[in-house]
Amino acid sequence: MKRSTHRILTTHVGSLPRPDDLMALYAANASDEKLQPRLRAAVGDIVRQQAESGIDVVNDGEYGKAMRSSMDFGAWWSYVYPRLAGYELSEEQAKKGRGAWTFGSKERKEFAEFYADEASAAASAARQSGSSTAQLYGLTCTGPVKYVGHVAIKRDTENLAAAVRITRAEDTFMTAVSPATLQILPNVYYKSAEDYTWALAEAIREEYHAIVDAGFILQIDDPALVDIYDWWFSMNDDIAGYRKWAAFQVQALNHALEGIPEDRVRFHICWGSWHGPHKGDVELKDVVDLLLKVMAQGYSVEAGNVRHEHEWKIWQNTKLPDGKLVIPGVVSHATNVLEHPELVADRIVRFAKVVGRENVIASTDCGLGGRVHPQIAWAKLGALAEGARLATKQLWA
Amino acid sequence: MKRSDQRIITTHVGSLSRPSELLTLNAARSSGTADVTAYDKGLAAAVTEVVMKQHEVGIDIANDGEFGKPMSAAYDYGAWWNYAFERLEGFASPESIPETEHKKSSVADLSLTTFARRRDWQQFSEFYHDPTSGLAGSAPARRQRRPVCVGPVRYKGHAQTKADIDHLKTALAQAGIEEGFMTSVAPASFARGEDLHYKTEEDFVAAAADAIRDEYKAIIDAGLVLQIDDPSLPDNWDMIYPEPSLEEFKKFSRVRIEALNYALRGLPEDRIRYHICWGSWHGPHTTDIPLADIIDLVLAVRAQAYSVEAANVRHEHEWRVWQETKLPEGKIVVPGVVSHATNVVEHPRLVADRIIRFAKIVGRENVIASTDCGLGGRIHPQIAWAKLAALAEGAKLASHELWQ
Repeated sequence: MKRSTHRILTTHVGSLPRPDDLMALYAANASDEKLQPRLRAAVGDIVRQQAESGIDVVNDGEYGKAMRSSMDFGAWWSYVYPRLAGYELSEEQAKKGRGAWTFGSKERKEFAEFYADEASAAASAARQSGSSTAQLYGLTCTGPVKYVGHVAIKRDTENLAAAVRITRAEDTFMTAVSPATLQILPNVYYKSAEDYTWALAEAIREEYHAIVDAGFILQIDDPALVDIYDWWFSMNDDIAGYRKWAAFQVQALNHALEGIPEDRVRFHICWGSWHGPHKGDVELKDVVDLLLKVMAQGYSVEAGNVRHEHEWKIWQNTKLPDGKLVIPGVVSHATNVLEHPELVADRIVRFAKVVGRENVIASTDCGLGGRVHPQIAWAKLGALAEGARLATKQLWA
Repeated sequence: MKRSDQRIITTHVGSLSRPSELLTLNAARSSGTADVTAYDKGLAAAVTEVVMKQHEVGIDIANDGEFGKPMSAAYDYGAWWNYAFERLEGFASPESIPETEHKKSSVADLSLTTFARRRDWQQFSEFYHDPTSGLAGSAPARRQRRPVCVGPVRYKGHAQTKADIDHLKTALAQAGIEEGFMTSVAPASFARGEDLHYKTEEDFVAAAADAIRDEYKAIIDAGLVLQIDDPSLPDNWDMIYPEPSLEEFKKFSRVRIEALNYALRGLPEDRIRYHICWGSWHGPHTTDIPLADIIDLVLAVRAQAYSVEAANVRHEHEWRVWQETKLPEGKIVVPGVVSHATNVVEHPRLVADRIIRFAKIVGRENVIASTDCGLGGRIHPQIAWAKLAALAEGAKLASHELWQ
């Protein structure tokens, strides 16, 4: 994986705004034959757009992951269910909506009125557009989990490979979801939560291998690793219970990553990208040691929003192991306001001074697609690139 | 005015979330169906409650939440200046008046443009016109024209302002809070719509200054700290199309600062704080003028304290301006350390880091921790209060470190 040897390199977390006609094809459940030509062209465009915006490590914008409307926070994980056998829709579970997953959240209790407002807004948006996350409500594991997405992942890797043959980039990555995220959906088949997670790890590793075999950097998206503290453990302030849970998730993920060279993997955590208060987020300091156990070379962590910005200081006390990279978020989806490039530079320089300039790749907090308006998303990538140039000037002066 | 002698004290910019009962009363009042006594009683009770709540959450210098400035919907970005038109003679609603060009300034070769032609709006027009862009109650829903000046501007809001003052003072006494503040709009921040009466823009602003002075005096005479709300100083920059030269813009702005100082003449500087921000709508703000370009104008205002946005991602880096520009002796900076621009609640540690950054430059006794802008009407009430709590908690952490 490329690092910032001569200048600060830039990347982003994955999701980018989709063209309207691509979303329309997904919304209409277009056949693969109908979808693929448009998808191939769109991936070519999005790779070129990233290069033009000054992004060094590019991806396919997650275009192969179905998104049906311009505001959609869930495509990064909903994409995988058509690729996994073993799930059925339970009407009973579906009625609980998101509440089936967030039952132990202190934040959702403290901010109940806000979340009720948000839920009503989100529900009306979902009715209009069929939001991706809403499609997961009620999905339950009722049989052996098996990866069946070979055709889809082959299509995605081929589309991206074709695009980067035309538009050269420093490096190319593709995202895939973590076992910890997958195990959020309820299970009635496996005897224990651990068996369930382990089976998910064994299934999803096929996708991981397909991405690495195609020559791309594999980015594991694992918001659940930190999210789940608030969702399941915060009501009782149960950090110990949470850490036990998280340690097992890391083990299962490492099992899935076996045989993949560490320097082809980057690991992304974030505390969920919804526009909420995030007061219940677990602190990075409480989980950073587990994060570093993941067999990856790069660690992508939110650091561009007001709940987690101060956590750059953690790297003063936690040594980043030799050869590893931090990929901090220096622009964020959590505000419509455009980061000033000087602020972006300040944030990058702060990290570079702690872990070494060659060990920092500047990035976003989370995917921008579906979370802010497309015009703002692109402006933020522009600010990111400009800030990285300013930081480079200071750091290589 | 109180300062951070022994610890970092806290305040906020003014607007707080209106309770739903008050929104209902305001709606009745604006439709003319309100019982005057019931309205006054309801308002007084709401002010008492909001002052108590500020006290409980750890805000040292409190206000009435701007509850006397009517807001009739939960999301409303304009009450801070719209209130003034009820208290002034000389303005008419734009509905019945055909649109005219803004008059050219007689001191600078430029004039203000309409909302829709703001440069940030042109650059991000798809975003600004997208109803799902998260601009609740903001840009697209916002009125496109300001009230038009059709006759001599005169102040007639004495009774309303007195009522606001009485409500606040009663509430402060009950909560045991020593210092309260009340906001009032700067001349240039309300005299910036179309004007059919005065000969020049400058005459218009000067007349506005003469009129609004009555409100300033009333607030100060009542023993409250007067906060002048003047987003227009930075915000006018984006309202000039095409982008003017900085020199022309400063000529244009200097007249407005002079008008404000004229309105403030003879009033005690140590009872006045001056607030600027770049507009509170949830947009990209790419065409905001840098603070460094206008800091001399800000400091020219006859106030003791300067309240400036510093907590949102467009302006956070500008704490460095105070390294270059010396804060004059005896003055106070009131930086925003929590912001309405994101639903995410600031971590108290981040708040403390921001406060300490300012304190190290201008001196701890010269910093009062605040918000970027009013929180009421701009984010959900539960989030607004959580942000004020984060502000207080961050100030405690900062005090602990700065006075150890």
